[in-house]
Amino acid sequence: MRGLFRWSSKWWPGVIPLLIFWGFAAWTSTEPVEADLAARANAAVKDAILDKKRVTVAGRDVTFAAEAFSEDGRRSAVAAVDTVPGVRLVNDESRLVPAANPFVWAAERDVVRVTLSGSAPLPSSKGKLLEAARANLGGIEVSDQMTLARGAPARFDSAAALLLDQIGKLKDGKIALSDTKVSLSGMARDLGGREAIAAALRNLPEGYSVAANDVKAPPYIFQAYKDPVASTLTLTGYVPDNNAHAALVAAAGRKFFSEKVVDNLKASVGAPSGFAAAAVPALSALSRLSTGTLVMSDREVKLSGDALYEAAATQIRNGLGKDFPQGWQYKAEISVKPPSAPVDASVCQQLFADLLAKARIRFESGRADISPDSLGLLDRLTETALRCPSANIEIAGHTDADGDQNANQTLSEKRAQAVADYLLRGGLPASRFTPVGYGSTQPVAGNDSEDGKAQNRRIDFVVK
Amino acid sequence: MGNVATFFWGWLLASLLLGLLMGWIAVVQRGGVSKTVGRLLWVLVAGLVAVALARLIPGRPGYWLDLGLIMFTLYLCGCVIGSCLRDWVVSRSQPPA
Repeated sequence: MRGLFRWSSKWWPGVIPLLIFWGFAAWTSTEPVEADLAARANAAVKDAILDKKRVTVAGRDVTFAAEAFSEDGRRSAVAAVDTVPGVRLVNDESRLVPAANPFVWAAERDVVRVTLSGSAPLPSSKGKLLEAARANLGGIEVSDQMTLARGAPARFDSAAALLLDQIGKLKDGKIALSDTKVSLSGMARDLGGREAIAAALRNLPEGYSVAANDVKAPPYIFQAYKDPVASTLTLTGYVPDNNAHAALVAAAGRKFFSEKVVDNLKASVGAPSGFAAAAVPALSALSRLSTGTLVMSDREVKLSGDALYEAAATQIRNGLGKDFPQGWQYKAEISVKPPSAPVDASVCQQLFADLLAKARIRFESGRADISPDSLGLLDRLTETALRCPSANIEIAGHTDADGDQNANQTLSEKRAQAVADYLLRGGLPASRFTPVGYGSTQPVAGNDSEDGKAQNRRIDFVVK
Repeated sequence: MGNVATFFWGWLLASLLLGLLMGWIAVVQRGGVSKTVGRLLWVLVAGLVAVALARLIPGRPGYWLDLGLIMFTLYLCGCVIGSCLRDWVVSRSQPPA
């Protein structure tokens, strides 16, 4: 041992090259050692549920920063880093994810994107919600502004997934969850969407409730466009059901005798009450126009176009409102078509014959009240009469042979008078018209069939 | 530290060999540091060991201190083995007095 003490005083000079070795060793090994420890520390906490995880290594000291979702999870993650072989010290900068109170989550939809905001309880929940949003809303941009927070109510994931399904049914709006209270606002995408959302909300997990549901339904639109060039009446929008659909199309067929009805209507729930009672008179008014558009949006009726003559325009502007059910609003923007060129009496007769060949003037059964279905035809007859101001016209009423002869005679006279009165209201002088009733004395077809009788029940215009 | 030694084992071996060489030379060489300086140096080494064990120096300097002390330990082992070997060789080659 004495020898060792003696020799050791001569070992010190070797420390000088040793220091050089040390310098090289430190220079070459520091970064590889740090990279190796960082990789192994990251691997140790790979499966831990953490947010904002960051592992930095200086020498053999590891700085571990992360946000954990429970105290146990935080401790076990730190312990996992600490037990990585080679680690000297762990600087623990981990903490718990902040708690949200109230725990708020929201999905908001506008024209181009859906924004998810608020808090999600775990990264996996957040991922699932984003994935579900992208899958449900194919093609729409999904913007993620969610943060992670503790304090979510039980069954948050299933509640949020259900609410996310509903955002697809909105055109725009917001669905928010505050603890267990759900609030909704915005506009449903389709008619019936509001009801579908309300039905789906009944399946919210236990404990959740709807605090406010202010989702509005889109307006219930019914439109009709009369195109005189193409001779079409185009119906678009919605009708309450198939029966109303059939009734409306049949009414349009009667009223628009010279136009082809193009039916693009769809049946849908959500019609305002009194829809059919408003649509039929509105179509009658449209049938009186040369060209025009009818738009019914919820309880608002808007009619625009050109009337055939001034008196008709005034009647349409003032008269239609009273035909609508209570609570409906009517707005008419009616102008008058420029008058057509005057024609002589023979052309006038031909024009009357052409019109009456396409359709007959209809009356209420057994009475002399003109059916609203014939207003369009009567306006055209009036317009034609205005074109031949010098012609005198006999308005001839005819009936079929059914019933009492005298009664038929009286009825034909009254009906001819009713038509003459209509023409007078159009601004024509009474002196030009001679209403005559012929009863069943001048049939144009046999009275032994329904078809023949229908042909015999008629009003003829004869230019004298 | 054992796990990370794979990154600098060459330098550890070099330290051991340097120690063997210095130990081998030390037996027959004259001179060396004075007793006082020698003691001071040992105190310095003890102090550094204490600092390393207490993990007082953080980060890279802490790692470098550990590395230096390990290399110094292997150097010392080399010195002891080298000196003992040389002493044994010398004592065998000299006839007993």
